[in-house]
Amino acid sequence: MPSAILTDGLTKRYGETLALDHLDLDVRPGEVYGYLGPNGAGKTTTIRLLLGLHTPTAGRAELFGIDAWRDPVAAHRHVAYVAGEPYLWPSLTSAETLEFLARVRGGTDVAYRDALVDRFQLDTSKKVRALSKGNRQKVQLIAAFAARPDLLILDEPTSGLDPLMEVAFRDTVHEAKDRGQSVFLSSHILSEVEALCDRVGILREGKLVEQGTLAELRHLSAQTVEVTFDGAAPPPPELPGVRAMKAGDNTLRFEVSGPVAPLITALADQPVVALQSREPSLEEIFLHHYGTANGHGGS
Amino acid sequence: MAAAEAIARRTLRDSRTRTLSFALLFLFGAAAQGATYRSAYPTLEDRLRLARSFGSNEAVRLLYGVPHDLLTVGGWMSWRLGAIPIFAGLWGVLAAVRALRAEEESGRMELVLANPVARGTVFRAALAGIAAGALIVWLGLFVGILAGRASAGGSAYLALAIMSPVPVFVGVGALACQLAPTRRMATTIGSGALVAALVLRMVADTSSAGWLRWLTPLGWAEELRPFTGAQPLVLLLPAAASVLLLVASAWLARRRDIGDGLLSARESAPPRLHLLSSPTALALRTLTGGVIAWLIGIAATAVLMGVVSNSVASGLSESVQRQLEKLGAAATSASGYLGFAFLFFVLALSLFACFQLGAMREEEADQRLETLLALPVRRARWFAERLLLIAGLAGTLALAAGVFAWAGAVSQGVDLSFGRMVEAGANCLPLTVLFLGLGALALALAPRAGPAIAYAIVGVAFLWETIGGVANAPRWTLDLSPFHHVGLVPAEPFQATGALVMVAIGAVAALAATWAFDRRDLVAG
Repeated sequence: MPSAILTDGLTKRYGETLALDHLDLDVRPGEVYGYLGPNGAGKTTTIRLLLGLHTPTAGRAELFGIDAWRDPVAAHRHVAYVAGEPYLWPSLTSAETLEFLARVRGGTDVAYRDALVDRFQLDTSKKVRALSKGNRQKVQLIAAFAARPDLLILDEPTSGLDPLMEVAFRDTVHEAKDRGQSVFLSSHILSEVEALCDRVGILREGKLVEQGTLAELRHLSAQTVEVTFDGAAPPPPELPGVRAMKAGDNTLRFEVSGPVAPLITALADQPVVALQSREPSLEEIFLHHYGTANGHGGS
Repeated sequence: MAAAEAIARRTLRDSRTRTLSFALLFLFGAAAQGATYRSAYPTLEDRLRLARSFGSNEAVRLLYGVPHDLLTVGGWMSWRLGAIPIFAGLWGVLAAVRALRAEEESGRMELVLANPVARGTVFRAALAGIAAGALIVWLGLFVGILAGRASAGGSAYLALAIMSPVPVFVGVGALACQLAPTRRMATTIGSGALVAALVLRMVADTSSAGWLRWLTPLGWAEELRPFTGAQPLVLLLPAAASVLLLVASAWLARRRDIGDGLLSARESAPPRLHLLSSPTALALRTLTGGVIAWLIGIAATAVLMGVVSNSVASGLSESVQRQLEKLGAAATSASGYLGFAFLFFVLALSLFACFQLGAMREEEADQRLETLLALPVRRARWFAERLLLIAGLAGTLALAAGVFAWAGAVSQGVDLSFGRMVEAGANCLPLTVLFLGLGALALALAPRAGPAIAYAIVGVAFLWETIGGVANAPRWTLDLSPFHHVGLVPAEPFQATGALVMVAIGAVAALAATWAFDRRDLVAG
């Protein structure tokens, strides 16, 4: 079976701006892929290219082996899309919108749609113009998941949802995954990506700077070791791949890339009271790549 | 103070396109009237004949009002520009609704009011911005009248008289914004009030109940009597009315929730599942309300033209005929008049096409089109079907114009063939198709500027035809305007060659547009 998403040197330039630079993605069927990046990194540009709404400057994008630009209609039969800014038809009610999207798309699972309407607690008799952003997002999510597509392309789908609905969203993504559907989740809500995604790609200024499973990304990143001493902390040992900073009067925090053994050895003759080690959170990996934490630069 | 200034500037800027379009339209309209009068009635004798024929013709008063002096340029213009106060009133309604209700509906007003700035300040600042816009429109009108070689003081006063309904209808619009929770509803209420004011003036000008004129802002504009025994004290009426309306609006504005109206819109409805099967069906569904409004407007105008056609033709003097001939019509009969008058529908339908292209652009700009085209929907098909839908709707409006004009004329005992009037309606279509095709091409090649280019093409072609015809321009330059190739059905035979060429160019342009649209990026915002 061909990849759900396959891009090859996908590049997009708007005038002078290079929005996407030789992107190579491979999202396999059944995979939930998290697409991370700050505002303006090129996430929405990627999605517009994947949907064949914009033409690539170079390279190509395929959905299930179908060229996204040349044959969008065939590609879209496999896809449902949820836009980040839910623009819908203000004069239609939610029920009418769901019906319209279902008829144009074809093949909607009506029973599942009704179940989703209950799960997301959507009042379908309300006109779209009277809905909040979160509720408009629910309309799009319900329409997309009820279509039971092979691939869901979601552009920051939960930015307007409350925590309860966020849970409903996660349940729905899990159900889709269990059915073997692929999900391409563009987001900057890291906890959500951490909870849902098999693999993560990090985009920075139009370039994919990191890609892999969470375990792989953690491995590449520094892990944090916090050491508390009996009395004032001694001057930190100078070791390659270890960065130290004070985290209190008696505490030092080390960021360790690679094995921890040299650090343990160096601390062996110190009056260590407590030693805590933890894997970096996705947030730390993310900040590591964007260099906003503590002013140190990214890779 | 700084906040108020910023808001006033914002208001002026937001409506710059509309304000400048109205100012230019008024400028050219007024200038053309002056030129027409001078070239068509050069001598006193001509003017006396005109006064005898047109002056007593009640039917023409429907649109222009009562003429008081047709012997001078000033007198002629103050009569012939009698339709402009209607458009000035419309400008007032649109400006108020844009500045007040559109800002609230979009949520931008909340953003403004979250700052340390009072509601009253925002309201007054928006009005100041509208007033600055009105000054620009007044200036356009003043220059246009001056260009017709009227005196400076007289021109200023005439422009003021024509603009006198503006503050009143800004007040009406502001009041509508307190009542209606949506822009569309506020515009409907405001325009409804304008139509009521117009009907009142029409009745006053054509019946013995002349006193009714004192009840409508459009009548006050007449009673200011520019160039014909000015009554500047009448200005107190629009001044008092607008102050009253604006104070009432401000009072109501303080007593309601921001974003809401005193009449709340229906926010829930049982589902109606018709016309949801395809994007084009949905377009038809969402456009229906607007198209019905166009249909009512066109049918009413057509009936009016039909009714008027009889008396215009019978009361027509030699010099009026000469003037109409210069504009390309042999208006010796009702059908002659209608053949000429139907040029108005050619223009209206061309503008309808531009308006619909604007709606297409809006769908792309606010990214609804992305939602649509992420479905298995062919882009070229969406574009082409939408153009066909617009052409179909324009066709319906065109036929309605023919049928209703026929009904109006026949009601006055005019002997007019139904078939010829249907043909007259259909005759409006080729040019509409041409402009639709060219506008679509503009939309495909320059998405953001597309609708403005489409309007500009229509506007330039129309001005070329009307001004060129009066100014005795060489024939070949007139031939450049496609309006010149429209046969004046029912007075003249249908010009099949011209029509075919226009439809062919329009169709080729539409095909090219579809091809280009299929290959370009969607452009949001």
